[in-house]
Amino acid sequence: MTTQAIPLGPRSLLAVGLLTIVGIAAFAWPLIAAPHSTVLAHASDAPLLFAVLMPLLLVVVLAQLADGDMDAKSIAMLGVLAAVISALRPLGAGVAGIEPIWAVLILGGRALGPGFGFSLGAVSLFSSALVTGGVGPWLPFQMIAAAWVGLGAGLLPELRGRREIAMLTGYAALSCLAYGFVMNLWFWPFTAGLPEQLSFSPGAGHLDNLSSWLRFCTVTSLGYDLPRATLTVATILVAGRPMLSAFRRIARRAAFQPRTNFDAEPPKEVVVSP
Amino acid sequence: MLGSLRPASSFREAGGVGSPRLLHPGAWWAWAIGCAVAASRTSNPLLLMLLVVASSVVVHCRRPDAPWSGSFRLFLRMGLAIIIVRVVLQVAFVAGQGNTVLMPMPGIVLPTWLAGIRLGGDITAEAMLTALYDGMRLAAIIICLGAANALASPSRLLKSVPAALYELGVSVVIALTFVPQLAADIERVQAARRLRGRPARGIRALAGAAMPVLEGALERSIALAAAMDSRGYGRSGHVPLSHRRAISTALLIGLVAVCLGTFGLLSAGIASWLSLTTVVLGSVTGIGAAWVAGRRQIRTSYRPDPWHMAEWCVLASGILAAGVFVACDMVGVTLSTATYPPEWPTLPLIAVAGIVVAASPAWTAPPTPVSRRSAPTPESVPA
Amino acid sequence: MIIFDHVTITYPESIQPVLRDVSITIPEGELVLVVGRTGSGKTTLLRAINGLVPHFTGGTMTGRVKIDGRATSTHAPRDLADLVGVVPQDPMSGFVTDTVEDELAYGMECLGLAPEVMRRRVEETLDLLGLVHVRSAPLRSLSGGQRQRVAIGAALTSHPKILVLDEPTSALDPGAAEDMLAVLHRLVHDLGVTVVMSEHRLERVVQYADLIVIVPGNGEQLQVGTPSDAMRVAPIAPPVVELGRLAGWHPLPLTVRDARRAAGPLRDLLVGHTPHLRPISTGARELVSLQSASVSYGSVRALCDVSMTLNSGEVVALMGRNGAGKSTLLQALVGIGPAPSGTVRVINKDPRGISSRNLLASVGLVPQEPADLLEATSVAEECRAADRDANVDAGTTRALLALMAPEIDDRMHPRDLSEGQRLLLVLCLVLAARPPLLLLDEPTRGLDYPTKARLARILSDLADAGHCIVLATHDVELVAEVADRVVILAEGEIVADGPTSDVVLSSPMFAPQVAKILSPQVWLTVDQVATALDSRDPIGAAG
Repeated sequence: MTTQAIPLGPRSLLAVGLLTIVGIAAFAWPLIAAPHSTVLAHASDAPLLFAVLMPLLLVVVLAQLADGDMDAKSIAMLGVLAAVISALRPLGAGVAGIEPIWAVLILGGRALGPGFGFSLGAVSLFSSALVTGGVGPWLPFQMIAAAWVGLGAGLLPELRGRREIAMLTGYAALSCLAYGFVMNLWFWPFTAGLPEQLSFSPGAGHLDNLSSWLRFCTVTSLGYDLPRATLTVATILVAGRPMLSAFRRIARRAAFQPRTNFDAEPPKEVVVSP
Repeated sequence: MLGSLRPASSFREAGGVGSPRLLHPGAWWAWAIGCAVAASRTSNPLLLMLLVVASSVVVHCRRPDAPWSGSFRLFLRMGLAIIIVRVVLQVAFVAGQGNTVLMPMPGIVLPTWLAGIRLGGDITAEAMLTALYDGMRLAAIIICLGAANALASPSRLLKSVPAALYELGVSVVIALTFVPQLAADIERVQAARRLRGRPARGIRALAGAAMPVLEGALERSIALAAAMDSRGYGRSGHVPLSHRRAISTALLIGLVAVCLGTFGLLSAGIASWLSLTTVVLGSVTGIGAAWVAGRRQIRTSYRPDPWHMAEWCVLASGILAAGVFVACDMVGVTLSTATYPPEWPTLPLIAVAGIVVAASPAWTAPPTPVSRRSAPTPESVPA
Repeated sequence: MIIFDHVTITYPESIQPVLRDVSITIPEGELVLVVGRTGSGKTTLLRAINGLVPHFTGGTMTGRVKIDGRATSTHAPRDLADLVGVVPQDPMSGFVTDTVEDELAYGMECLGLAPEVMRRRVEETLDLLGLVHVRSAPLRSLSGGQRQRVAIGAALTSHPKILVLDEPTSALDPGAAEDMLAVLHRLVHDLGVTVVMSEHRLERVVQYADLIVIVPGNGEQLQVGTPSDAMRVAPIAPPVVELGRLAGWHPLPLTVRDARRAAGPLRDLLVGHTPHLRPISTGARELVSLQSASVSYGSVRALCDVSMTLNSGEVVALMGRNGAGKSTLLQALVGIGPAPSGTVRVINKDPRGISSRNLLASVGLVPQEPADLLEATSVAEECRAADRDANVDAGTTRALLALMAPEIDDRMHPRDLSEGQRLLLVLCLVLAARPPLLLLDEPTRGLDYPTKARLARILSDLADAGHCIVLATHDVELVAEVADRVVILAEGEIVADGPTSDVVLSSPMFAPQVAKILSPQVWLTVDQVATALDSRDPIGAAG
């Protein structure tokens, strides 16, 4: 039984699901919008709309997650792990995708549950942006994408030992590449000056846009995404087991959500099981 | 009487526009977003440069004397880098369009299995100008937001976090407080590796130091949580379960509405006003429910940042600047400069007026106080 | 005020209860000292007062704990926050914000007090604790004593009736500890706060206590009484009490002044005897030589022109205020930190020139945070890694550990060990290669008396075997027990360097209790007095 540092009740799950659906639309509208839809007609304004919408929705979903279920232990652990990630982020110095943070995010989400992974992704990207001074219009999108990575890590099936590490390395590779591709989606419509084969054109069909996007990704971001994926996979292979056992040990000691039972008659017995 | 005993370094005096104090961070961010919106509406290089100058003036005049406010230079450099990258991309991929050739260069066409992209080619003035204006626009947006970074302290911004997000705000505050401690820990543990006969430099040392630091940090988080609990963290007024259910249902309904609205925006055949209204209504419901959920907290704020006339002025200047540019767009005043064929950029007076309004916080915001920084005492140096 | 009614507490992972059938009543306005060995259940008792046990830690609690009428079974720690203020052992780990003022206000914000009330209380607390000049300072830049005061202030602003402190003076030098205890004394006597604290260094606090609770451990019954009653039977006691028991004084004195009044006859008995000192072994060779060594951190000089030599077989104590340069000196001897000017030679080599691989064979340092050196997930693994690092036969370190701390199990996680056990483990890891020079930085933080005695014995044995040992410590009693020579540092310079009895007796700050009681005679520890009394013969020994 994995610990759930921040439990995902049915309402929270629904809220996260809805955010995911809107998020997919916010990121992928160049690829999935129908040919004569509103958003394609105002293709230059759509990014602005989504840039305003996504932070608001993120606030709403995080408020729902926080609604009474985040006690001091989850908050403190969230803060500390976000600090670890924020301290790691400047290490790459922006060099081609050297981002040591993804291993910590994935392993933390794995050990402490999907709700925690989701919150950790959002909070740590925010705090690392504050630490590195890089608050910009890309931030809400980065927060949501990282939150998805953490959420997915927590939703992976129960496995232990070497199979767990193998599963995590596979997930790491996929999610790092996916993160890069998804963030590319974000600024792809801005790139008006690129050759036709790589750029977005509202009038073209779905298949054309999809292939342009894939080419764009291949050309510009494999220089970023492959190193990111490689570093994360390497970190998990080398340090995954000790880090997971450290997280699990702390989760045991922290005793998240102890349930209390009270007897009505003296001698009063308080049974609190972690 | 207490006021006269207060030392000069307490600078949160409530006051009018005149007395030195720090402006509410929300006002600065709203102003910066207004400027960014204005910048996104135009590709006129003169207007963009004037916007950047306006931001720089405000930052220069009202920058507080704190370590994090030196980041504006980084943003200026980032803006320059964006322009250069944009121009280089243009030269590499899209050169050759237009008539005024500046520099003839060989070009190759990649074979069709590589998508038939054209590399290189003659460098034309039209292409360069397009790239330049595009890059300048993006750079101006980034620089305007960078101004907010430099003017409004991140941790003070966290104090103004809406009550519904209080818990997450606390975790961000904890994260920011912890980062320097972690850095000190890593240095100490790395040096201590020498004591076990292991190398204290290099990647292996860093990796070896990582686990003790991580475990120490996790253990400290439990101690922190115990301390927070003991001090009353998480006390809330008693709200009946039905209320909480109702609030979270409203929240979910808002989200569903936004979903439907977005679906409408992305599909053909649904009127745009319908989808947009659904999206807006859904967001409002969601935000409203979150706000109501935050009301049940009984937390108060110690010396909260006041919101006075000066904040309204700064906010208004940002909104006005954005409004002027958006209105120009709609009215038909050209805010963009044509490049095929290249023309000299014009300077519409109304847009310049908007920029002057955007620069007004340099005077309307209260002057920043001078803060005293404590010198390192011998006790704070490792014994 | 605080009522424990037949309380039994068992933690989730264990079968044996930590506290069994505890029934004590603590009246209002008392300063209560909780005394006991490490792991005896003191911390559990303190945490049960504000409900952290069992709400935070989990576990089973039978019986009732009532704090001013509120039962902890129905009130979570946050509900008791306006009644009970808690000061954690490491104040830095309990800080939520990053400036002094915000930290003081945080507790009140959580309780929802009005801004004017908060403002007033913050000013009062700054005045009460002498923190006005650092009110806007970041918490990281404060000294240990100031941080402790901020932690107390942060707990006090919600005007609690009870203040709980867990080992508040463990990290403080004697001066800062005195200041802090004076503040607590004032809180109890002026403001009527009930203070419950646990402390290992009994010699600092026992005279302030109104009530003492002895926690024997292993689920045995707690004993509660006035200090003079409790100290008569307590298993651990400060030197003044041990001397009183040895000399049979009635009533048992708790302060140096009371003991001096009763010590007349004892002094007469000891006339003509001298304390038995540890013999310095012959063939001592010079191991360390420092000539005009200076170390600077940026513009701050941590060490100024220090010159001294250390020989094998010596136990040298480095004493001085926090910030005087003790840690810097030790780090210079292992080649950590900024490069020193002047000469530093360890076994005729510059320590900065020795590579990490070869360092273990020359010098070993146990740092202030022993846990910094622990990387493995089990004790056995750590020992095996130490064998490899030191190039010795497999099993050497484990054998050493079995000698020093036989109760440590192979499978335990190093971070789950108690403070004392962790210290001994790291000591073994560092001793694996038998370095002739052994350095320890503040080893007695958080150690109880029995573990300190064990450490003292181990260090004496090592010195007899030819090692040179350097201890940087505040603990005057340990220095009196084990050191041959004391070097006092102040502001980076050596202000005193000589045999223990000469140096510690020349300053009241560094004199052990026995010396202060029996002065002008030169006695440093109770053991010395006991040995002398045993060896007394009618003629009297001279010299």
